[in-house]
Amino acid sequence: MTTISLPPAARSRSGNRSRNRYVAGLRTWRGVTGLVLVGTVALAGLLAPWLTGADPDAQGPQALAAPSGAHPLGTDDIGRDLLSRVLHGILTDLSIILTAVPAGALTGAALALLAGTSRAADLVVQRLFDLVLSFPGLILGLAVTAILGPGRWPVVIIIALAEVPYFGRQLRAGVLVQREREYALAARVGGAGRARVLLRHVLPNAVDPLVVQGAVALSAGVFIEGALSFLGLGVRPPEPTLGSLISGSVAYLDTHPVLAAPLAVTTALVLGFTLLAEALNRGART
Amino acid sequence: MRTFLFKRLPSGLAVLLAASFTVFLMLRLIPGDPATTLAGPDASPATVAAIRERLGLDAPLLSQYLHWLGQVLTGDLGPSYAIGGQVSELIGDGLAATFQLTLAALLLVVLLAVPTALYAVSARRRALAGALRALTTGALAVPPFVTGVLLVLAFAVGLGLLPAGGHASLFDAPDLAVQYLALPALCLALPSAAILARYLQDGLERALGEDYVRTATALGVPRRRILWRHALPNALPSAVTVLGLQIGQLIAGAVVVERIFAWPGLGQLIEQGVSRRDYPVVQDLLLLVVAGYVAVQLLTDLLYSWLDPRVRWE
Repeated sequence: MTTISLPPAARSRSGNRSRNRYVAGLRTWRGVTGLVLVGTVALAGLLAPWLTGADPDAQGPQALAAPSGAHPLGTDDIGRDLLSRVLHGILTDLSIILTAVPAGALTGAALALLAGTSRAADLVVQRLFDLVLSFPGLILGLAVTAILGPGRWPVVIIIALAEVPYFGRQLRAGVLVQREREYALAARVGGAGRARVLLRHVLPNAVDPLVVQGAVALSAGVFIEGALSFLGLGVRPPEPTLGSLISGSVAYLDTHPVLAAPLAVTTALVLGFTLLAEALNRGART
Repeated sequence: MRTFLFKRLPSGLAVLLAASFTVFLMLRLIPGDPATTLAGPDASPATVAAIRERLGLDAPLLSQYLHWLGQVLTGDLGPSYAIGGQVSELIGDGLAATFQLTLAALLLVVLLAVPTALYAVSARRRALAGALRALTTGALAVPPFVTGVLLVLAFAVGLGLLPAGGHASLFDAPDLAVQYLALPALCLALPSAAILARYLQDGLERALGEDYVRTATALGVPRRRILWRHALPNALPSAVTVLGLQIGQLIAGAVVVERIFAWPGLGQLIEQGVSRRDYPVVQDLLLLVVAGYVAVQLLTDLLYSWLDPRVRWE
C-alpha cells in the first residue's frame, strides 16, 4: 500500500516540496502580476544608463517643460530631465532596499540562532526584539535620524533595523518547532553537537517562512525610504529617489499631471512586492 | 486578571523603562555637544561651560537620566533647545490635534473594515468577494504619502469639496473642524483599514469552515445568525490584536499625514525636533509615543481576554 510509505517519504523531501509550493504560488495570477510589475520597474531602473542619455542631476534652461523628444516625460521644477530622474530614482531605491533587507534578515536570523543556544540568550534576544518593535514604524526612523542625521546610510540602517525583529521572530518560531522534530532528535542521538544540529539540520528546514517575509520587507523598504524622503530626512539631494521625486512633484501636480510618473512607479513597485508576498504566502499555505 | 497584573503589566513597564534608557543614551551618543551648538560658533569656552552647567550636562550620565525621569513623572519637561518655549507646552499644544486625528482615523478604520469583511464573506457572488480583496490589496500597496496627494488632488483641487490642509478647533467651529479632519483621517485610516478587513475576512472564512458552523447549518440556523452569533465572536479576538498593532501604525503614519495636510500635531513637532536637532523635544516625544504604544498593547491584551474567555487571566 502506497499510503503507508507516503508520509515518511514526503517528510524527507519536505524541503524540496515546499520550494515547489512557492513556485506554484508564483504561477498564480497574483504571482505573475507581481513578477511582471517588479520585473518591469527593476529592469527600467537597471537599464537607466542605456534608456536615457540625460544626466539626472543636470539642470536645463526650461523648468516644468512639457514632454518632448529630448525629454520624454518633460522636466521638473528646476529643469532636470524627469525620465532620467525616475529611472535613476528606481536604481537608488533598489540599491537601498537590496542592501538593507538582506542585512536585516541576516541580523535577525543570527539573533534567532543565538536565541536557540540557551534560555538566557533567548530571553535577552526576545526583549531586544520587543524593544525595537516598541518604536512603531516611522518613529524608529525618526529616532535613528535624530542620531545619525539624514542621508543614504541612515535610511539603509533604519530599514534593516525595522526588519530585524520580524525576520528574527519568524526564524525563532521555526527553530523551536523543528528542534523537536524526530530528525533533529535523531541527529542529537547520533552524536551531533548542539551547534551542528542547529546549523546543519534545523536551520535549512526553518528558513522557508523567511521567503514571504522577504517580499513584505522589500515593499516596507520602499515605504520607509519614501516617507523619510517625503519628510526631507532621507537620501540627500540632488540624488533622486522615488520618495524625493514624489515630494518634489506634489506642488505642481494639478497643473502638470505628467509629474505623477514617480507616484505611478512607486505604486507599481510596492503593489508588485505585495502581490508577490501574497502569492508566496498562499503557495506556502496550500 | 492576576496574570495580567503580575506578568503582562511588569513586562510592559520593563519595555518602557528599557526604551526610555535607550532613547536617553542614544541622544547622548550623538557627536557634538548641544551646549556648543546652542552657544553658537563664536562663543567663548566660558559661555559654553555656563550653558552646560545650566542644562545639567556636566552631571554624570546616570544622574542626568534620573533627573530626566523625574521631569517626565512631574510633567515639567524644561525648555526646548531650538524650537523655543517649554517642551511641556509644545507637546500639550500638539497632543490634542494628533489625538483628534488618530481617534478619527481609528473610528474610520473600524467603520470601513468591519462592514467590508462581513459583506465580503456573506456575498453570494464570489466575484464580489474577489473584487473587495483586490481593493484591499490596492489600498495596502499605495503608500500614505501617495494616497494623501491623490486625495488632495481629487477632493480639494478637483472637486473643491474639502480644504487641502489646515486645522480648526473642534470646540470653536465643529463643522469646519470636521471638514478639515476628513481627508487626513481618511488618508491615515486607509492602509490600516485594508489590513484589518483582510484579517477579519480571513478569520471569518476560517470560522465559517469549522465543524460547529456545519452543525448549525444542518440544524437549520439561518446564515445571518451563524455569521453574527457564531463566526464573528470567534474571529473578533485576533482582529482586535491586529487593530492594536495598527494603532501603532496610525501614530507613526500621523507624522507623514500631518506634513501633507499641514496638521499642527505631534508628528510635525517631532519632525521639527529631528531636523532642528532639538534633543529634549525628540527625547520626550519618543518616550511619549513608546509609552502610548505599550499602553495600547496592554489594553489590547485585556480586550482580547474579555472577548475570548478561553484565554482569560486566571
